[in-house]
Amino acid sequence: MTASSPGAPSGTGRRLLGLLTPRPSGWQTPAATAVAVVAALALSSALITLTGGSPSASVQALFEGSMADWTAWTSTLLYTAPLLLVAVGACVSARSGSFNIGQEGQVLIGALAAAWVGLRLAINGPALLVIMLLAAALAAGAWAGLSSLMHRLRGVNVVVSTMLMTFVAQQVVAYAVNMPWLLQESRVGNAPVSPQSNPLPPSGLLGSFGEYPGLQINGGLILAVAAAVLAAVAITRTPWGFRLTMLGRNPLAAKHAGVRVNALGGLALAISGALAGLAGAVLLASPVGVNRLQPGMAMNIGWDGLLVALVARNRPLAAMPVALLFGVLRSGGGFLAATGVPSFLVDVVKALLVLAFVAPPVVVALARRRRSGGRPAGARREAAPAAEEAIA
Amino acid sequence: MTTVDERARELTPPSTPALRLRGVSKRYGPVVASDNVDLDVNHGEIHGLLGENGAGKSTLMKILLGLVQRDSGTIMRGDTPVAVRDPQDAVALGIGMVHQHFSLIDALTVWENVILGDTGRIDRAAACRQVEEVSRRYGLPIDPTARVERLSAGERQRVELIKCLRRDPSVLILDEPTSVLTQAESAELFTVLRHVVRAENRAVILISHKLAEITAATDRVTVLRKGKVVFHSPTGDTTPPELARWMVGRDVSLRAEGAALGMLPVDGAAPSGDPPAQTTAESPSGAEAEAVTPAETTAEPAAGAGSGIAPALRLRDLTVVIDGVTVLSELSLDVAPGEIVGLYGVEGNGQSTLGDLLSGLVLPSSGTVELTGRPVELERPGALHRAGLGIIPEDRHSSGVVLDMSVAENLVMKSIGDVSGRGFVSRRKMHAVARRLAAEFNIVAPSLDAPVRSLSGGNQQRVVLARELSAGPSVLVAAQPTHGLDVGAIEDMYQRLRDAASEGVAVLLISTELEEVMALASRIAVICSGRITGVLPAAEATAERLGMLVGGVAA
Ligand SMILES: Nc1ncnc2c1ncn2[C@@H]1O[C@H](COP(=O)(O)OP(=O)(O)OP(=O)(O)O)[C@@H](O)[C@H]1O
Ligand SMILES: [Mg+2]
Repeated sequence: MTASSPGAPSGTGRRLLGLLTPRPSGWQTPAATAVAVVAALALSSALITLTGGSPSASVQALFEGSMADWTAWTSTLLYTAPLLLVAVGACVSARSGSFNIGQEGQVLIGALAAAWVGLRLAINGPALLVIMLLAAALAAGAWAGLSSLMHRLRGVNVVVSTMLMTFVAQQVVAYAVNMPWLLQESRVGNAPVSPQSNPLPPSGLLGSFGEYPGLQINGGLILAVAAAVLAAVAITRTPWGFRLTMLGRNPLAAKHAGVRVNALGGLALAISGALAGLAGAVLLASPVGVNRLQPGMAMNIGWDGLLVALVARNRPLAAMPVALLFGVLRSGGGFLAATGVPSFLVDVVKALLVLAFVAPPVVVALARRRRSGGRPAGARREAAPAAEEAIA
Repeated sequence: MTTVDERARELTPPSTPALRLRGVSKRYGPVVASDNVDLDVNHGEIHGLLGENGAGKSTLMKILLGLVQRDSGTIMRGDTPVAVRDPQDAVALGIGMVHQHFSLIDALTVWENVILGDTGRIDRAAACRQVEEVSRRYGLPIDPTARVERLSAGERQRVELIKCLRRDPSVLILDEPTSVLTQAESAELFTVLRHVVRAENRAVILISHKLAEITAATDRVTVLRKGKVVFHSPTGDTTPPELARWMVGRDVSLRAEGAALGMLPVDGAAPSGDPPAQTTAESPSGAEAEAVTPAETTAEPAAGAGSGIAPALRLRDLTVVIDGVTVLSELSLDVAPGEIVGLYGVEGNGQSTLGDLLSGLVLPSSGTVELTGRPVELERPGALHRAGLGIIPEDRHSSGVVLDMSVAENLVMKSIGDVSGRGFVSRRKMHAVARRLAAEFNIVAPSLDAPVRSLSGGNQQRVVLARELSAGPSVLVAAQPTHGLDVGAIEDMYQRLRDAASEGVAVLLISTELEEVMALASRIAVICSGRITGVLPAAEATAERLGMLVGGVAA
């Protein structure tokens, strides 16, 4: 008697989703966010000082590595593109109420598919790149779609299955680059072979606009921005997006209103997988890496992309500046290590910043609900009294 | 024990104010939800609070509970002003509330829900013991280890009460506690409340739209209108019609009033203040004369009694099995265009499953639904809607509306294609439709872009009704359509259902309220244990005959 979309969040999950999704808000949220960011930065510099570094030198290094000149900007944007692609996908699935958190694996599957097409199919010219991208999207979309299928057939929770599939994906890629008949690099003379593929042929690489000392905009970034704009329009302006939102907010009412809840939920999951797969292809084909399939090439882009969506509160357009910020942290983070700051501290700083962005809206909503009570900006939920008591 | 308690009560004068409100006001933008309200609530009394939908009853109570902050005014405990800044303050003051909509968590068990919010170690055994102890003390039987999702509305209400009573509140607030209860369950609740008030000298505030309940169960009554106190009196000194007039500000029709009163206008019953439960609870035993023979009543429900009109809605041998339990069993029923058929029965006899089925949420294991002569492919999403079936679902929060989407979006939810062009939703068209419907159906909302959550219960119901009727259905199913509506809104709802019928819509009214069915339906089908036990023309339907059918006598 209950109609549940794949991985329809539990009551608590939906409540959380409600708190994390956009709604008109007053000045409190930006103010609280500003305070939280300042606090996070203060805490970060305290940590850096404690571990023997110098905060000002760190900021300097972060800046030099990410924004000081065009080369730095280029590298920042190279990270931004896959982060944004993953984040946009995460927005789509979260809006539908199915939480896909397996992007890290989907990125790898996308890269695997793109590498296979690029290295094993004899396609020439620009068609190769297009087919590589398509293959990456399809493979990773199907990979994510499996979780939807598992939910429908066996009732497996989507959050759990997407995450566990990440580990399967890592094994699959490791296998592929260790098997000469699959994708392992060819042996040259007597040199030992590494667990990686051959480099992509030049026609399989994503080109950039701009020349070396100046700013270079890689095709991957254009792809990512286009995806973000498209997703934003589809979600907020089309009947499809309307149904998607309805499904995420109340699957039962959506079903009642004639939404194909299983199909739409599965599609949303597949789209988020496909975008993560594209991110994988971009990682493979853009100069951010070595243009070879390697087991470690996802570089936590999948996890970070999820954080981007979280901070952007599932709004694809808001994900653009957030992805840029994360790109800055990534490209600047490398430089930071050179100043003697342990590299894990970059992750700590990132985590603090995420908290600084994610926590204030929730805190403001809770505080407002308790203070002026009622249902400010829709924050009041049915179980509010229970929640109120839970605080008591 | 009772005698000792009663003595104790005689010793303490019953009219010490437990709580006093002076000049309490609250606005939401342009809406004045509370307007300079004065209210005294005494120990040892049940205080009735009445008012139309949106009159500000829930808001006032939320102010008392610290869930909403008042703009001005004082709250006094005895003679000392107190601050109620948040629910913790209210708990400390001994104010407890059972909310209008259940606030239990389905996936948890009863005892888990009850102790939710406690701090410290979780002691399952102690929690269960406490639940059992409270449940024994007040006569609220419940299994502490049961999962809430498996409980009926009445049982959930019990859990809410236990959750509240275990904190030993001196003031207990109940916001429309009976709108989802059967009459027997309501009667049971009032027994508990009597005990709480008489024996334990607590104060109770009871919000209800059912005038008969108010007159039967309360000691004093206050009527709110547009946030203001317009009437205040000891219950004994007033009458239900007078209360109805104060609420609505005009005379209301006898039938709607009858339904709101919980009486049978057809029987010409006097507004005696008898609890409504008695009408049904007693009738099966009181009836012996006209035994209803199965042959007479379960004969094929020929729509329009041989008038030759093809039924607009035809349910054929519907069987639904959920978790191995047969909830509906070979249910057949016809509704002709222009006819209102009432499906009457005690709650929990398959009505809500039938409602879910007609909402497209449940599939039958066998049987068919035909609309205007064509079988509906129930597996296809939205097939019922496309075939011309409109439905007001019983539980509007779960499937009727999306609380976090706007009023406008909810109004076009099922016809989003109609307000879109070239692949895009036109906000302009959407707002135009919404504005028209809001005006036509008197939906009071802060704005069309406000989430449905911010509407009062009655207005949420209007949103559903407006959406369903605006699609121009050939069949309208109304499941418990007046739950939580005030007497004026009930009248309005009845009028709309009658209008729909007179325009040729086939109306199926699913209701557990005998008065409602008697007031509206031209034929009454009775459901018991998932099957139709009889169909009677309204003219032949007496409380006795229906009572027998409800008991499954003619099955
Ligand atoms: N958070 C809010 N924001 C804006 N308006 C609100 C809010 N809460 C309540 N209102 C408005 O205040 C008025 C009073 O609402 P309230 O819920 O107190 O009514 P009620 O008497 O309990 O009605 P019902 O019988 O339908 O439950 C309504 O017009 C409602 O729309
Ligand atoms: Mg209310």
